[in-house]
Amino acid sequence: MGLKTVGQRVPRVDGLTKAVGQAVYAGDMEMPGMLYGKALRSAYAHAKILSIDTSSAEKIPGVHVVLTAKDIPGINKFGLAILDQPVLAADKVRMRGDAIALVAAESGDIAEEALQAIKVSYEELPGIYTIEAGLADNAPLIHEEMGTNLLQHTKVRKGNIQEGFARADVVVENTYYTQRAEHAYLEPETSLATIDVSGNVTIWTSTQYVFRDRRQIAPVLGIPTNRVRVIQAATGGAFGGKDDITTEIQAGLLALKTKRPVRVTWSRAESMVCSTKRHPMKIWCKTGATKDGRLVALEGTVYSDKGAYCSIGHFITKKAGLHLSGPYHIPHISVDTFAVYTNNTVSGPFRGFGILQSALAHESQMDMLAERLGMSPWEIRMLNA
Amino acid sequence: MALIALDLTVNGKQTQVQVEEDKNLLYLIREVLGLKGAKEGCGEGDCGACTVILDGKAVNSCLVLAVQAQGKELVTIEGLGRPDNPHPLQRAFVEEGAIQCGYCTPGMILSAKALLDYNPSPTGSEIRTAMSGNLCRCTGYQKIIRAVQKASNSMAEGKEVL
Repeated sequence: MGLKTVGQRVPRVDGLTKAVGQAVYAGDMEMPGMLYGKALRSAYAHAKILSIDTSSAEKIPGVHVVLTAKDIPGINKFGLAILDQPVLAADKVRMRGDAIALVAAESGDIAEEALQAIKVSYEELPGIYTIEAGLADNAPLIHEEMGTNLLQHTKVRKGNIQEGFARADVVVENTYYTQRAEHAYLEPETSLATIDVSGNVTIWTSTQYVFRDRRQIAPVLGIPTNRVRVIQAATGGAFGGKDDITTEIQAGLLALKTKRPVRVTWSRAESMVCSTKRHPMKIWCKTGATKDGRLVALEGTVYSDKGAYCSIGHFITKKAGLHLSGPYHIPHISVDTFAVYTNNTVSGPFRGFGILQSALAHESQMDMLAERLGMSPWEIRMLNA
Repeated sequence: MALIALDLTVNGKQTQVQVEEDKNLLYLIREVLGLKGAKEGCGEGDCGACTVILDGKAVNSCLVLAVQAQGKELVTIEGLGRPDNPHPLQRAFVEEGAIQCGYCTPGMILSAKALLDYNPSPTGSEIRTAMSGNLCRCTGYQKIIRAVQKASNSMAEGKEVL
């Protein structure tokens, strides 16, 4: 039977539009009366905010509004899984990318000038930049209300780990470190928000998940979810980095306050400092095998550097632990995972969701086991897959 | 900032514009001429998403001052084909699956056009060198190279007219 689509090469439905430059990304959109929104970012990774003076910024011709935390009509929190990230930092900042104030102005240049005119006084707090520092006794707390910097501890248990290692003829034990990574999608984050006469808000944005966006936007704007409409514009790459809220709430708040369309586009530098990153992880792994190459036991710990906020990183850290055995059958497993808050840039989803970090560990272990046993790296993998 | 009047050719059409003297060519293209095909990815000449052709050469329009376009010939992605009549490069990019998110695509195609205008039958290595200033993060480099090769071949065979 001849099928028209299945098994055939089909061109992308939007390929030609993109090839001729007619695809409309959120940053390509303009509306009558549109204003340009920008955010003031924290000067410190960890500091108390003592005062914010926006009076000079508000006087600049062309500036329509300057917003700080006190101007938010709804809740001042968002987060993909846990609401732990402020839209505008009120009493303290937890990472360099934290937004403190928002400006809407007639042009991007005027908005930038207004940001320079906002005066913030800080009292710098000791910063936490490593997992170890976050878990140290008497470590400064990043989220005081939690009473700890440990966001989540999970345990994976299977079989009996002592019994497993008792059967092992060879044991390989190592600690692996993976680095923070930026998605660096070619299109920086952008949203354009409008408000209609009935107060309904429509936001065109570069995103991955419009429904999760609207569920986070509406409570901040203080309006019901059904009055927020999020439309995904052509999106110039995401790779997990646009799973979280980026510019959507900022544009929405500014549109709500000015009653004008507002577009917020992050610069590349802003995207680097503010957007989520791949979790740096420290993975300790002890793997046991019999002399004929069969895996019998795996013990491990996974520590992730969450940065200042959760995003969905508690799950990503857990997933790294769940995948620490790789695609191999291991009868006895004991793995603990720890997601730790630091004052680094927030970590979140990025292609692989924690599995890449685990893969570095379990595949390195396999190569070393093969070498110790005098087997080929291929043979030991096929034997255990 | 003072406005400067410029005369230039935009996609074959003689054009007069006014632009602030401190703005870059990308601003002139997107905000003054309203041609949104050129994209800003980094604003500092690393990514190539803003590539356009100025007097026959591919340039990062974020690194060229708008006033430097005075008297020059500018070609943007809008100056190539349209959906019902795409340029051979645009057709090849679609056919080879060289487009994913599409944000790098206009710059990629213009870098390739500047190459083919100068060297109609480039080697694979020459294509890679010419495209080395254009980043793709969805990672379709192999398909992009194949698309440029395919456009070059079809244009050489005379099936396609520029």
